[in-house]
Amino acid sequence: MKVLSKNSDELILLAIVSDTVRKGDYLLIEDGKLNRKMIVQIYDEDYLSSQTLIEDIVRDEVINASSAENLHDPLNIGKLSRMIRDARLFRTKIRGTIDTSGRMSRDFTWIPSRVQSKIRRLSIPELDAYVCRTGNFPIKIGKTRGDNEEFDIYADDLDGKLNIVTGRKECGKSHLAKILIKRLVEHGAFVVVFDLNDEYSGLAINHDGSPSSLANQIKVLQCGDGLTFSLEYCGKAAISNVLKNALDTPAASMREFFRIWDWLDNKDCLNIEALGKAVNTWNVNELVRDALISRFHLIQGSRLFLQNHGEGVRFEKIFSKGKGAAIVVCMAKITPIVRRMIVELILNKLVDLLENEIIPPIFLFAEEAHLYLRDTYWEDITSRMRHFGICPTFITNQPDAIGDAIYRQVDNIFLFNFTNDADLDRISRVSLADNDTIRSIVKTLSHRHCLAIGKMVSDLPVVVEVAELEMLAFGETRKFFSRRVEQRF
Amino acid sequence: MGMILKSTEFDFTEFQLSLDRSVDPSLSSNLRKDLLGKTIAFSHYDEKSHIPIGKYGSQTDPSNAETVTPIKSIQEVTLVAAVDSSSIRIAETENGCLYAIKCGVAFATNSQPLMHFKLGPMLFYLSEETVKKSELDYRIANLVLFDVEYAKRLVRIQIERAIQTYLSNHLLNSIILVDGSLNASPFENKGRNIKKIAENCSIHRNVLFGISKSTSFRVLNKISAALIQSADAAYMNIQVIIQSISRTTIGDNLLVKFGSRDSPILRVDIACCTEGISHSLGKLVANDSMAGGYPETLRLAHHVSTLTNMEVSCLKAYLLSNFDITQLESADIRKTLLGSIPR
Repeated sequence: MKVLSKNSDELILLAIVSDTVRKGDYLLIEDGKLNRKMIVQIYDEDYLSSQTLIEDIVRDEVINASSAENLHDPLNIGKLSRMIRDARLFRTKIRGTIDTSGRMSRDFTWIPSRVQSKIRRLSIPELDAYVCRTGNFPIKIGKTRGDNEEFDIYADDLDGKLNIVTGRKECGKSHLAKILIKRLVEHGAFVVVFDLNDEYSGLAINHDGSPSSLANQIKVLQCGDGLTFSLEYCGKAAISNVLKNALDTPAASMREFFRIWDWLDNKDCLNIEALGKAVNTWNVNELVRDALISRFHLIQGSRLFLQNHGEGVRFEKIFSKGKGAAIVVCMAKITPIVRRMIVELILNKLVDLLENEIIPPIFLFAEEAHLYLRDTYWEDITSRMRHFGICPTFITNQPDAIGDAIYRQVDNIFLFNFTNDADLDRISRVSLADNDTIRSIVKTLSHRHCLAIGKMVSDLPVVVEVAELEMLAFGETRKFFSRRVEQRF
Repeated sequence: MGMILKSTEFDFTEFQLSLDRSVDPSLSSNLRKDLLGKTIAFSHYDEKSHIPIGKYGSQTDPSNAETVTPIKSIQEVTLVAAVDSSSIRIAETENGCLYAIKCGVAFATNSQPLMHFKLGPMLFYLSEETVKKSELDYRIANLVLFDVEYAKRLVRIQIERAIQTYLSNHLLNSIILVDGSLNASPFENKGRNIKKIAENCSIHRNVLFGISKSTSFRVLNKISAALIQSADAAYMNIQVIIQSISRTTIGDNLLVKFGSRDSPILRVDIACCTEGISHSLGKLVANDSMAGGYPETLRLAHHVSTLTNMEVSCLKAYLLSNFDITQLESADIRKTLLGSIPR
């Protein structure tokens, strides 16, 4: 491999076909004369093309198509010619140079010699050593493409950060999210998952149906089955936010609701039954009463609240154990309005608990959050809630559903395959890596391969083949014909 | 211009008048008279491959139309073999030059291509020493050493004759097509010359064709009018004319139109046609495709034998990596001296 040319922060390398490097690989260019090293990453691969080369290829094809060829090539020039025809150009981005102390820096003030430079593939462990990428809580997410070495990120780099997992559907986003959750819980972290498609409950079960190693640490909650709160535990602020933001209760009705709440609280009988009676008998304008009654019926119908006195879910109890835990909130078979109520209620309660330092910081995984998170919450999560200790990870196949404001604050992106230019445009405009790298590499990523970008990889994008999961990966697409095939055999 | 003046006293007006007077009578006064009303075909830098399309004025009256013989396709399955080659100089050393050559041999029968052979690229080094060892005449050897064009021709002739000799010995009842006329060349080896090839063809009942894309004999353009007007494939015997100009040609000399109305007129030499010229041409037309009025096998052999830029680059790389050669940089002296304004 040889350095051919340079354009801005790009180096173009010439390689013959026997050089087994691929898009996404890192290369080390060692200039023996200057005694300096440069690290570049391949973002695109092309043929060496010239007009005469193309003419030669076309001419040979036409000749071979017209009659069978027999070669007598005593000097074996044909072999050289075939090598030139198969020669590749690797377009690379300069990621940094190695200074005299052996550390990586962003000093691009020199270019390597075309003649003296030696180029070799750089393994990810070598790259990690140059950038001193290390941490206390490794998360094995898979293998690096090419050298097939185990690839770790560190939970430390996800902690307190905003993370996004995105890619087109069925490319392995949820699969990766499950690996992250599993490893975080193993490291003792507390995780809340908003599970839209009822697929994360599989974390508690192995492939063979036996309980997984995390079975006791995964708590699956769904409406009517575990996901119930007492009004007292939720508190006035959380319930009023549900009424205001999820149920669009007018201001006048909200005032009456506060009076009713205070009255019940004073009487020490905060429960659904008492709330229902109070709403129905409260001396108030008819329109306000109607508004409150309709909201009450929605609350009652949601099955989110205990009818009488009882304990219900208490996050501090789940998150106070010595080892990590994950709460999976199933939202698959419920109406959008109840979904919004659940999210509003849980986020409010978590913020309340975090504010009062009752629970430690938590990791929040939100699948297709745009379907249940109101617009104003996005900014809340990325700015305010992060400071309380909610570390969000959004999983989506619609990158345009996440606003630019979120992308600009993002710390880590797991980018799976996208073929749509509009989606790639959206991400590359605001992402942590350059446009060329994202456009070229992401388009050609295969199933369960992702481009890891951001702080977790020290801002050096790495292509990772996501590992298999030992647990059940619910959430695969249910298909009509696969069932018919099962019945047939 | 009389007396010699100092540079500051030089009268340029007088100089121009004197110059006009001395140059004028020689050229321009008769130009109008000579060219008025003439049919003209402009020349090109690569003059060899350009022929006029259509007819000159003098060709409009076909006085020798009776000599045109139509070619009738004779459906006898016969193998047609065509040979072509190309050579270039790729390097120069202190005592010689290195030439690359590539040959193409194409086979067809029943108007269908069978296969083709690509031979080369191969390298030939011509130096005083190598030329001395050859059978070449002393004067021809010197010519080859000093003139690149002759050297390239030598290399081509030697290789082509070797292949033609092989084909003439190994094929039976076939047609062998050669690019160019069937001329004896001073560059041939004694054992592999065109006469020997013709003898072999005669023994093995092969017919040898030499087909030229263009000819240096301008007189042939003038007598081709009848053939141009012929609607179908036809030929004219021009033996008398060619024999009066060149004595090194073997076989019968023809002007042939292989295709229909707009096909080009080609000079064809034919040797060893024991069954007659018409019969041999008929078999050729039946067994080789004549798209564009030129045998497809020869066209294929030409394309196969063409040295490409990439092959030349590969040869240079091969030399550098295998022979411990030190490369000297070179420059285009014409460009250096005259500048690079395109002509």
